Amino acid sequence: MTTAEIMAPTGPPEAEPRRRGGLSPLTRYLLVRAALLVPTVWVLVTMVFLLMRVIGDPIQAALGGRLSPEQIAERKAEAGLDRPILTQYWEYLTGLFRGDFGTTLTDNRKVSTILVENGAATLELAFWSLLVAFAIGIPLGRVAARYRDRFPDVMLRLFAILVYAAPVFFVGLLLKLAFSPFGWPSSGRASINTELTLQDVDPQTHIMIVDAFLWGDPAMIGDVLKHAMLPAIALGLLTGGVFLRLVRVNLLQTMRMDYVTAARARGVSERRVLNKHAFRNALVPVVTVMGLQIALLLGGAILTETTFEWKGLGYQLAEYLIKRDFLAVQGIVTLIAIIVGVTSFLIDVIVAFVDPRVRF
Amino acid sequence: MAVNAKRFVPTIVRQSHGLQRFMLLLGFAIIAVFLFIAIFAPWLAPYDFNADRTADGVVFGTQQAPSAAHWFGTTVGGTDVLSRVIFGTRTAVEVILLAVVLSGIIGVPLGLVSGFLGGWLDRILVLIMDALYAFPSLLLAIVVAIVLSGGSSSAFGGIMAAAISITVVFIPQYFRVIRNATIAVKVEPYVDSARVVGVRTPRILRKHIFSNVSSSLPVIGTLNASEAILTLAGLGFLGFGIEPSAAAEWGYDLNKAMPDASSGIWWTGVFPGLAIVLIVLGATLVGESLNDILNPLLRNRGTDTTSADEAEIAHQFEEVTGDEDASVEVRTAPVAPDPKRVVALSLTNLEVTFQTDGGQVHAVNGVTFDVAPGEVVAVVGESGSGKSVSSRAILGLLPSSAEVGGSVTLGNRELLGMSEDTLRPIRGDQVSMVFQEPSTALNPVYTVGWQIIEGLQAHTKISKKDARKRAVELLEMVGMPDPEHRVDYYPHQLSGGQKQRVVIAMAIACEPDVIIADEPTTALDVTVQAAILELLLSLRERLGTAIVLITHNMGVVADMADRVVVMYRGNVVESAPSRELFASPKHPYTRALLDAVPHLGRENGPGLVDANELVLKVDDLVVEFPGRFGQPTFRAVDHVSLEVRKGEVLGLVGESGSGKSTIGRTAVGLQQPTSGTIDVSGNRISGLSDRELRPYRSRFGFVFQDPASSLNPRMSIGQCIAEPLHVQTEMTQKEVDAKVRSLLESVELGGSYAERFPHELSGGQRQRVSLARALSLDPDLLIADEPTSALDVSVQARVLELFTELQHRLQFACLFISHDLAVVDTLANRVAVMQDGKLVEVGPREQVLGNPQEEYTKRLIAAVPVPDPVEQQRRREERGHLLTDIS
Repeated sequence: MTTAEIMAPTGPPEAEPRRRGGLSPLTRYLLVRAALLVPTVWVLVTMVFLLMRVIGDPIQAALGGRLSPEQIAERKAEAGLDRPILTQYWEYLTGLFRGDFGTTLTDNRKVSTILVENGAATLELAFWSLLVAFAIGIPLGRVAARYRDRFPDVMLRLFAILVYAAPVFFVGLLLKLAFSPFGWPSSGRASINTELTLQDVDPQTHIMIVDAFLWGDPAMIGDVLKHAMLPAIALGLLTGGVFLRLVRVNLLQTMRMDYVTAARARGVSERRVLNKHAFRNALVPVVTVMGLQIALLLGGAILTETTFEWKGLGYQLAEYLIKRDFLAVQGIVTLIAIIVGVTSFLIDVIVAFVDPRVRF
Repeated sequence: MAVNAKRFVPTIVRQSHGLQRFMLLLGFAIIAVFLFIAIFAPWLAPYDFNADRTADGVVFGTQQAPSAAHWFGTTVGGTDVLSRVIFGTRTAVEVILLAVVLSGIIGVPLGLVSGFLGGWLDRILVLIMDALYAFPSLLLAIVVAIVLSGGSSSAFGGIMAAAISITVVFIPQYFRVIRNATIAVKVEPYVDSARVVGVRTPRILRKHIFSNVSSSLPVIGTLNASEAILTLAGLGFLGFGIEPSAAAEWGYDLNKAMPDASSGIWWTGVFPGLAIVLIVLGATLVGESLNDILNPLLRNRGTDTTSADEAEIAHQFEEVTGDEDASVEVRTAPVAPDPKRVVALSLTNLEVTFQTDGGQVHAVNGVTFDVAPGEVVAVVGESGSGKSVSSRAILGLLPSSAEVGGSVTLGNRELLGMSEDTLRPIRGDQVSMVFQEPSTALNPVYTVGWQIIEGLQAHTKISKKDARKRAVELLEMVGMPDPEHRVDYYPHQLSGGQKQRVVIAMAIACEPDVIIADEPTTALDVTVQAAILELLLSLRERLGTAIVLITHNMGVVADMADRVVVMYRGNVVESAPSRELFASPKHPYTRALLDAVPHLGRENGPGLVDANELVLKVDDLVVEFPGRFGQPTFRAVDHVSLEVRKGEVLGLVGESGSGKSTIGRTAVGLQQPTSGTIDVSGNRISGLSDRELRPYRSRFGFVFQDPASSLNPRMSIGQCIAEPLHVQTEMTQKEVDAKVRSLLESVELGGSYAERFPHELSGGQRQRVSLARALSLDPDLLIADEPTSALDVSVQARVLELFTELQHRLQFACLFISHDLAVVDTLANRVAVMQDGKLVEVGPREQVLGNPQEEYTKRLIAAVPVPDPVEQQRRREERGHLLTDIS
């Protein structure tokens, strides 16, 4: 995603000339964004559906060789796969509206259950790694901008390129090499013991850390945190490097804006100029591009989850892909498409709160 | 790209410097090493990538630590790690090259066409590409890889499948970048001018758009290459890459090495991992350095004008002074300081030097002047005179690349060399600034009240509530309507004039001793300018503030200044009381400058021409622009009828947003009318498609406002002028060359200019070239849209002179669009005045500008400051309250 980040429109958007009449700008903005969400998700789910049909008959792919042709035909009729493709497409779309993403072939799970159980794991991983990414990206990006072209900047830029250049599974491998000699857990979301105990938490959120808190055993909380550390660092470094560069380049651009000079000219302290004027404005494009990073995070989660055997959506998806269970794949990919669409809408809403030009 | 690569690389290296060059060269070196390894893999690798025994049949053994026989050890499958890494390089390079080339071949034309044509095709493509783009790229690649890997296990099939899966991911990226660049380029005036002469779409796409957009391709190409490697490795890692028996692949090896990590076996994973990191590092270093070098936004700017502009002004300076040495200062004021004079701020021998990429630039060489309480000192000069730089040096607001020498004293305190901490309390409190562009001087994400309060709290201990009350008072003082309400407005909710009032309110918030106003009205319309100048004068009366007014506008000087300092190339050439300077300028440069300023209301302007041949007939024209979702349509031109006859110049004047430019664009078919008709030389041209219009294109020429963007930067001057001839006539190359030379001579540029490129020319020279191009087909009608408003006055005078001479000789009809009434007054036979899309008044020049009938025209004319202090004072008294209610 570096291309996106580097070639992204830089600087705040132009202010529109104000015209009277019509909807309030905020309403209009949110309506447009919400309206755009529908075709985006539609294009994505249609694409998923078509690609899955191009692959061929899912039942044949998953169970071919294990069942007799008659049994396969029977299973096909059962799943409705012998009907015209348009009918299937219609069923698929209407199913989505009811929240029905289908059922897996190989182990007969509802995809919506996968969302609840594995989605929670991915959410947890995304949360921890975003935490790491913010902690790295924002302060270091500010340092780099402040010392532009001097030693700290050069080192930080090199650091950012290096964490970008290292695939997340290679970083994972290095972390495992470094930490396993000390017996640090480097796979799974918790020890077997903890995992079994937390199955009985009521209500079970499937978000391990929340479950551990609900159970109330500090040892288990510690265990969960220990397990989350390495995957969070691996994925967080990758995203954090991108954030670092985003913050740096946008700060450099806002620092040369007239309003920054104007604030200095009215005697505002340098610290305040940096925090209130340059940084706040730099956030607008940063938030927009961070929205695009969510997709990167999900893509990276597949690799991170496989590396650390973190049983999230990505891990599950990889498993089904290897088993050639394309009904499961279709369901999970559709789910991810919807998550991507909704996240980008939420990012647009956040942008509206950061940038008053969108609101008024 | 490939064709230019030979020249491109050395050029880029030469343009880089320092650290950037180091990073670029390091990146190139890394890539070169990997390319070498990829090409010579079979000779470099000790064994085949899948071999698990030597040629003699000796088995390597599994997971052997690095040794002399196996430098990088062996894998869990018993193969040689070094050989796998080397063959993996080959696989990676093949896939990347294929992927980058394929996605470019598909994405670039799609982006070009989509961006250029727009409409529903563009919308659909954008929707699909954005959806693809938002989707996790690796996931997409996996799905495509599964679709493609229909049993193909050959090396080529596998590599092709991997490349195509990656291509699908990258097409949207090329598409987006190229489409956005195309949209940015297609509204450039040089594209419009190609359309005006009837250049066909494929040629426009190739010659004008692609050649300018393609500069971003090396950047996207290299950055995509690094992403391609990561995607390929990710595919391999997850087991969806190339069939392991067909080729060695780093990601696959890393996957196999993962279980080893927990048992301390490091060599199976670390070496392929490092290979990935290094090659991505190389490609990213090259891509980022290219972006740094090619992206003008990140470049260190020296001064704002090009050296060609300064050279042009210098040339004129030498002509009038007969001397290159500008330091001869003529001072009319007594050199010995007046003992009774109390000075608020004084500059003595101020010097500013910038360290730029191109070496040292002396922006200011010894500037001396002072300003007393209640006095307005105007500092005037053309581009590159150093007037703005001097004003910023006073408060220490120059970038760190500037070195400042001399002395600046405020009262009796020396400001230069003061630490940031001691200077900060002075900024805004004792000396404050008003900036040129109010829309960029206000921070868009805070309310205006917040920004005023911030300034107050920086200097006084004042509660938030009191500060807010004071902010409302200040807004009221600067004439902001409804200040209790507007204090909570964001800057973009205010008009340009209101924003400048806010900037002024901030400047006076702490009742400073000195206000430095840097071109405070340049960005504003003339009636708003008059109101803002009025405000500044009244504040001076009330607060007794000293004002340093930086401006290039002699009318503003005559209106406001008590004393004037004339600057040229960092030197003061003359300083004198205002009336004295205008009445009897001593320095030849000052004289030339004053002569060059057009003066509204001169007696001997052009009269009516007696010709009946109608060239342009605009009848009941309406042009509307559809509003965006939820907004009403915007009517830019509202039932306007105009006529221009042969040999006649019609001056079309109005303030910004009056619709005057839209009329010009509609008249040459760059914009379709909503209703009404346009005829040129008796032919109906409104409602025609581009194709139907093409035969009539030779009838009109167009000169655009911005000399910087009206010529295609990738075409030589000769090619620019020849383009209409190639498109519209059957002339041979020889005839075209001869015609180009004669056109260049007619605009007083030698034939040698044909070989040069636009960036080598000054703004004035470029406008001459634009004029030559517009006249190349001997048009009946010339439309000139603010052709001189971006030029310095002395340059403007020369271009206008040339224009008038050509117009008399060639007798074309001309629609001359301008906001500057004084310019129109020097060359128009008739004048039309527009306001809010409506035609207010039209008639002979001396009648409309000399004896206007309509209220709006009267106001407009009264607002123009004339470059003569005595006359201007009379006008100011006469106009009375005509201008009071303008914000």
